[in-house]
Order: sequence, then C-alpha cells, then structure tokens
Amino acid sequence: MNAPIDRQAIEEFVYREALLQDEHRYDEWEALWAEDGLYWVPAGSGDIDPATQVSYIYDNRRRLASRIGQLNTGKRHSQAPQSGLRRLISNMVITQIDGLVQVECNFHLIEARRGELRHWAGRTTYKLRAAGDGFLMVLKKVVLVNANDPIVNLAFLI
Amino acid sequence: MSERKGLNDYQVLVNEDRVHGTLYTEQQVFDDEMARIFETTWVYVGHESEVANAGDFVTRMIGRQPVVLTRDQDGQCHVLYNRCPHRGNKVCQVEKGNARSLQCSYHGWGFGMDGALQGVPFNRGYGEDFDKSGLGMVGVARVGSYGGFVFASLVTDGPTLEAHLGHGMRMIDMLNGLAPEGSISLNAGWMKHKFQSNWKIVTENQVDGYHAMFVHGSLVRANDNWATVRDRRESSSARVRDLGGGHTEIDHAADYGDQGVMFRWSGAIAPAKLPVYMQAMTQAYGEADATRRLILGPPHAVIFPNLMLAEMNIQILQPVSPRETLQFTTPVVLKGGAELNARTLRRCEGAMGPAGFIIADDAEVGSQVQEGLMASKPEWVVLKRGLTSEQREEDGTISAGLMDETSQRAIWRRYRELMTTAS
Repeated sequence: MNAPIDRQAIEEFVYREALLQDEHRYDEWEALWAEDGLYWVPAGSGDIDPATQVSYIYDNRRRLASRIGQLNTGKRHSQAPQSGLRRLISNMVITQIDGLVQVECNFHLIEARRGELRHWAGRTTYKLRAAGDGFLMVLKKVVLVNANDPIVNLAFLI
Repeated sequence: MSERKGLNDYQVLVNEDRVHGTLYTEQQVFDDEMARIFETTWVYVGHESEVANAGDFVTRMIGRQPVVLTRDQDGQCHVLYNRCPHRGNKVCQVEKGNARSLQCSYHGWGFGMDGALQGVPFNRGYGEDFDKSGLGMVGVARVGSYGGFVFASLVTDGPTLEAHLGHGMRMIDMLNGLAPEGSISLNAGWMKHKFQSNWKIVTENQVDGYHAMFVHGSLVRANDNWATVRDRRESSSARVRDLGGGHTEIDHAADYGDQGVMFRWSGAIAPAKLPVYMQAMTQAYGEADATRRLILGPPHAVIFPNLMLAEMNIQILQPVSPRETLQFTTPVVLKGGAELNARTLRRCEGAMGPAGFIIADDAEVGSQVQEGLMASKPEWVVLKRGLTSEQREEDGTISAGLMDETSQRAIWRRYRELMTTAS
C-alpha cells in the first residue's frame, strides 16, 4: 500500500530543487540525488529508447559527479560567467508508482546569457524516493518542447 | 553594405600564414562561400544506413538549399532538390520517414522516390497532351557514395568523388574497419547544436591540437580520464596532417602506436570487457590486424567542407549565416559491435553536443571568437604555428606537430582555391 501523498512536502522539494539550479548551488543540488539516480534530457523526442538513441544528457550518478565537478572549477567556459536563471514551475501532477513518488510538471526557464534572454520550456518528470524526512531524486527527465530542434548550449543545470 | 568582392580579393584575403578577419563576419563572403564551396564541390549529404529500406528518406541542406536523400524501390539512392516543380512548395516537411511516394502538401502532386512525377490531381485541367516527364522533382547534378557515406555536388563538372576525397577515403576506411562487418550505421538519432559562430571557426577548431588545455582545462581538472583532452600535450607524438583537398586530421597513430594499448580512444577499456566484439574482430581481421586496428582507433578528421569524422562520432556541419552554424552529432554504430556501441553512445553524450563536457565549451569560445573578430584591428588572423617545421610525407600529405596550425592552413588553402574559381 502506498503512503498518503504529502503534496506540500513534494512541492517544496521541487521548488527547492529549482532554486538550487537557478542559483548554481551545485553541491547542494548534487546532494538531492540518490546513488542510483538518472538525470536525463532526451534529444529528438521524449519517447526515445535511451539504450539505442542519443540524448543531450544521460547522466548516471558518476557522470553527474563529473558534470558538477567541471562546473565547480569555475573554468567551464560555457558557464563562466554563469547564466542568469529563473524558472517557473506549474501544472504539477503527483502520483505514486512502484513505491516512488512521481511528479510531472511544466517549466518555463529564462536564461540570460551573452546579452540575450533565452527561453527554455518543457515538461519534467521526477521520481522521488522517500529518505529521512525528505526525498532523493531517482530520476529527473526533462523533455524540451524543442527537443527536436537545434539548441544552443545547455551547460547550466536544467 | 560591403561591396561585392571580386575573385581576386580572396587571393589577397587568404595568405599561407594568415587570413583576413572579415572572412568570418561578412554576409557577402558567406554568400560567396555558399555558391562557390557548398553549392559547387562535393558535400556530405547522409549515410546509406539512414535510408536503408526502399521508400526511406531524410531531409538535409546543401549550402542554402533543401534537399532530400531517398532510396527507391530498386535500391538506388537519389538526392533531390526538396521543391515541388509545380509552385515551389517544400515537398518533404519532416526530417525523415518512409513513404511509397512523396506527396506535395499544396496541390497533392505525387512523386516517386526517384523524383519522377507520378500523379497530378484533376489532371484533365492540364489538357490531353499533358506531359509529366519534365515535371519531376529535380535530382542534383551528381551523387556518389564511398564506404556508405553519400555525397552530392550541385554542378555537373568537377573532380570525381574519389578524386575529391583522396586521402579522405582512408579516413572512412579506418572507421569502417573498426566494425567486424566492415561498415557502420548512423541510426542512433542526432544531437542538434546551434553555434553562434562562423562555420570556419567550427571547422578549424575540429582539428586544432593547441586549444585543449585552455578551452577544456575545466574537464581535465574535474576528470582527467577523458582521453582526447588528456593526450593534447606538447610532448605528444600525435601529428596534425594536411590530407590535401581541404581534408585534414589529427593523427593519433604515433601516440597510440607507441603506447601499444588497445582502446585508448575509448577510455582505455579493458578488451576483456568486450568479449563478443573482440572475438568478432579477431575472426574478421585476424588477431594481429584486429589488435592494430584497435590500438590505432578511429579517425579524427574533417572531410572538407561539412563532414567530421570525430572519432566515434559523426558530425555534419551546416552553415546558417556568417555568425551561426549548426552542428549535428550522432554516435557511430559499428555493425557487429553491440558491446562497444552501447559504450560509444554514452561517451558521445558525455563529450558532445550542447550539454557535453567538451563541445559546449568549444561552442562558447567559438562565439567569443566571433565577437572578437568584430574588432577591425589587427586585420589578420595568424596561422604561422609550425610553418617552418612541416614534413612532407611520401604519400603527399603534410604533417606537423600536434599543436601546429598545418591543419588550419590546409583548410584555407582549399578554401582559396574554390573561392577564386568562378562558380
């Protein structure tokens, strides 16, 4: 049997995750991940088979640590200086699947970089595992509305 | 508005050891490049494996012009201008598909995969002696294929594909030769990356052995296990090489050969972890030759002007404007190499594309270069490195040290040839 959903706690987790990304708080963001976590941004469309089709990001926990390590050097040119980021999150649907909390939501992210305001939008699916008095991310999958179009650098955390 | 440049101006603007900064920034230069290079010489269009079955098609660009690569019922590949001969509509709107015929969305004209006009709705309106034969989608002037890679040229005259590719054929052979079945597939989808820089900045950088410690220093600091960056040191015995015809490479043979270790190009994975692939390679090529192939690895080459054999990735370069270029990237799928393919896919995602640990920083610095070039002084970009220490090889190629600018000079020499020839 699934435990009752604490909607407020889940929303707070998602908003905090967004805040840590917007403010480039890399280590705090990394701490939100489960050891078996998967950070996934498909290319082409949201329903590709990642075993045979290329994604923009397909980070297991180890790859994710390299991503954070590179950002933490402060010398990754594509994030030096860091982009200005703020994102809005809405249309949240929360369900429970296989003992995990699944959250789906829309996002609209504004990135300020190289004198431009860039729009990023899409739908995010989280799978969260209860841990301690909070959650850890087992999956974060971000399907861009323009996953099939050419995109500029995506070196910040989306 | 800049004045139209005459043929001789490119002779002046491209020297052996320097090129003029305006070549990266001006619209007129870009327009000339599209006409005299991309819409004249052989350009890479697609891979035979992308249109493996009758009725398959993929849409691409040749310079500024949309085309479609198809395979007909007889197994023949065609490259057609993607334009309805009736009123000009783009016939294929999607990037790939399979169809019995290509149908125009405007008035419903239907075409065979060879471009022939098959059907015209309500055709009585054209009169009784309506001749459909001259109203098909038009095929480009020349189509050729080497090792599964399909190239096209929009002009009738010029060197054969083989003459154009020259030593580039060896690069394609080297890649295909890593597959137990001797060929590759490009069927793993594409990363599509928008660079805010001129196409030549992207191309020059592809075979630049000098920038890695600076542009990719953050990756070395974070994870020193990324071979292509790790190995870009001054003492490396790797060479850059002018293959002729604008084709150029970073040749790892000396470096990898000295070390004698297989798979340095794939994170030095232990061969024992790829038992099926190892056995298939040994069976296909014999143990000694298989070992040699797996030590030397894939090519790191530019096939001028728009194909990059980027080790275990294939990239297509598509110029958009003087300050915008698209780069499409897909991992190489070796026929008979499933174990390695799974690894190649994940490594592609790590390194390449807009979120990749390597290419995102190349793209960023490329856009910085583009901005810097808007400063009009000094007028020239300097390409002198290694000019006096180049080595002419017996096979006609010219090699130099890993960090030398022989590869950039190779690109520009071909550029000048084409840009000073009227199209």
